Amino acid sequence: MTTIGRDVEPIQILLVEDSPGDVRLTQEAFKDAKVLTNMQVALDGSEAMALLKREGKYADAPRPDLILLDLNLPKKDGREVLEEIKANPSLKSIPVVVLTTSASEADILRSYRLHANCYITKPVGLEGFLEVVQSIDSFWLSVVKLPREAKS
Amino acid sequence: MNNNKQTGILISECELGKSVSNPVAVSVPLLITTESEAVQSPLESVGRILVTAATRDISVRRAAEKHLAQMEEGRRLVEDELRESEERYRMLLDGIQSYAIFVMDPVGQILSWNAGAERIKGYTADQIIGQNFSCFFPPEDIKRGRPEEILRVTAVNGRHEEQGMRVRKDGSRFLASLTFTALRDPGGTLRGFSEFSHDLSESKESEARYRGLLEAAPDAMVVVNQSGQIVLLNVRAEKQFGYHRDELVGQKVTNIIPEGFAERLIADGTRSAADALAQQIGMGIELSGRRKDGSEFPIELMLSPLQSAEGVLVTAAIRDISVRKKSELYLVKTVGELKRSNEELQQFAYVASHDLQEPLRMVASYTQLLGKRYKGRLDSDADEFIAFATDGCNRMQRLIEDLLAYSRAGANAKILREISCEDALKDALTNLRATIEQSHAVVTHDALPSVMTDGVQLAQVFQNLIGNAVKYRSSATPLVHISATQHANKECIFSVKDNGVGIDSRYFEKIFILFQRLHGRDEFEGTGIGLAVCKKLVERLGGRIWVESQLGRGSTFYFVLPDRGNKL
Repeated sequence: MTTIGRDVEPIQILLVEDSPGDVRLTQEAFKDAKVLTNMQVALDGSEAMALLKREGKYADAPRPDLILLDLNLPKKDGREVLEEIKANPSLKSIPVVVLTTSASEADILRSYRLHANCYITKPVGLEGFLEVVQSIDSFWLSVVKLPREAKS
Repeated sequence: MNNNKQTGILISECELGKSVSNPVAVSVPLLITTESEAVQSPLESVGRILVTAATRDISVRRAAEKHLAQMEEGRRLVEDELRESEERYRMLLDGIQSYAIFVMDPVGQILSWNAGAERIKGYTADQIIGQNFSCFFPPEDIKRGRPEEILRVTAVNGRHEEQGMRVRKDGSRFLASLTFTALRDPGGTLRGFSEFSHDLSESKESEARYRGLLEAAPDAMVVVNQSGQIVLLNVRAEKQFGYHRDELVGQKVTNIIPEGFAERLIADGTRSAADALAQQIGMGIELSGRRKDGSEFPIELMLSPLQSAEGVLVTAAIRDISVRKKSELYLVKTVGELKRSNEELQQFAYVASHDLQEPLRMVASYTQLLGKRYKGRLDSDADEFIAFATDGCNRMQRLIEDLLAYSRAGANAKILREISCEDALKDALTNLRATIEQSHAVVTHDALPSVMTDGVQLAQVFQNLIGNAVKYRSSATPLVHISATQHANKECIFSVKDNGVGIDSRYFEKIFILFQRLHGRDEFEGTGIGLAVCKKLVERLGGRIWVESQLGRGSTFYFVLPDRGNKL
């Protein structure tokens, strides 16, 4: 299913989320994940871009294999982050899962037009949320083959 | 060509027997470039070369012959054309009805006669041609030699204009406007005169008729000529603009209509009737008028071209629309305010419910996480508290979801088209299948019409009403019947009748208000949104909704959709 190297190396996830409650909840949910993951957190859009571009203190940040992106973020909005990622030749191959409370048709359409890889509305209840994380785990981290790009 | 020309000169010199200083220049071009009858060798004599008249170049003659033939042909063509154009010109003149046009010889004997002359003066061409034009004058004018005087003056000045009395064949007199022109040949010899005239009493009469019409018009009317001068106006126009008639007649229309507009209006107004029709210049144009005191007021202009003896005039009906404008403005402002406040409310409901969901999700999630991780590990009180907190969160979530649903209801643009109400009902029943099956409800319906409405919203109304009918059922098997009747005014009244618990008439209004419930949570679940959504949707579709019911005897919900060309 995966390469040998991949089995030992944890999957790098970048969570872009401004609500600490949500960050913690997502982390808790991933604790039960089948796949070994390593989660980095960016609390706003600017931080996310700095991290992805390995600017300043993020010079040694690992390249994420999957990005979980909230849309409503302070400073740089999630939509802008998505647009920048997908316009960046070296970043655009990283799958972006939009994970947001917004269920607005406009947001959904816009995200897909900006080449989001999938769009998930955060369920309100805990059980629902745990299920979503499990789905991400089983689909994006197990079923799907993620691109292996040189991690310089 | 240059050579030829040169040769030509030389040849003529040769032919005249002149000596030629350079004989080479003669013979070479002559031989090579021109056609000759014969070329004689030049005579040789020591020291001089002479050319006798032995060489004859005929190219010039040939060309001249050819040219002459062409000239002849051209002359014939020109003559033909002239004849034709004369013919056309005569036909044109003959056909003119409004003006008398005729030609006379230098002493006033009539040579031609057109239809207008026949109509105005009363003579046919046969009767008048050959007569002297003095017969059109009253006897007293003839006596004092007026006809001869006019011819003399015209001959001297080339042209003469006047207004004067003339006599028709039947002896009646009329005031005519006349123009005489002297006709001279290219050499300047006087060949005769033309008279161009029209009957002023005709235009005076029609003007009077027209004036009567103007005064009867409900609007201010102003008649403007092509140079923008006011020719006629009615009393209403005087009052509206605050001028006396005399102050406006002859003045530029720009005095009362802002500059720039007026020019365009005149240009628009004087286009041909066909153009005007095509471009609908009769349509109202809104601009502003200026009173004598300088104040401006909004007007609506209706223009129409008017053919008259003085050329095309533009008739402008000017309506003061200050009052209409004011109420329009007020209406637009009020509608704008209403729309804004409505939009704000909509936005408020949406944002509030949306933003409320965020913290609620936190509360709910962590309460549930607490329950999940610590149930049974704290004391029984803690378990109970967590359960209440979780329950509260769930209810709050339902409320917010419903509030969102309510604010979204009908928020999308209506798509009005003719839809089958049976299809809308079918969609509603499909969505309610599980509910209907579980309750063993029997849903029946009459034939439903096709109506012009938004099918999705209508289906939602049906779904909520039938859903309620099933939900608020009595102990009996739920029976729901849907029917529609079309009234004389084409409105369609729909009804959804059930045999459920019924509603006390006290609550007939209240049940349509958001989150109003008549029953305890343990009796019937729900937040009280269904009927509020129905009301909102029906009203957005231009209709209304109400209920008739008796407690314990079922309810019938009615809603009416407006006529938009509905068909049963």
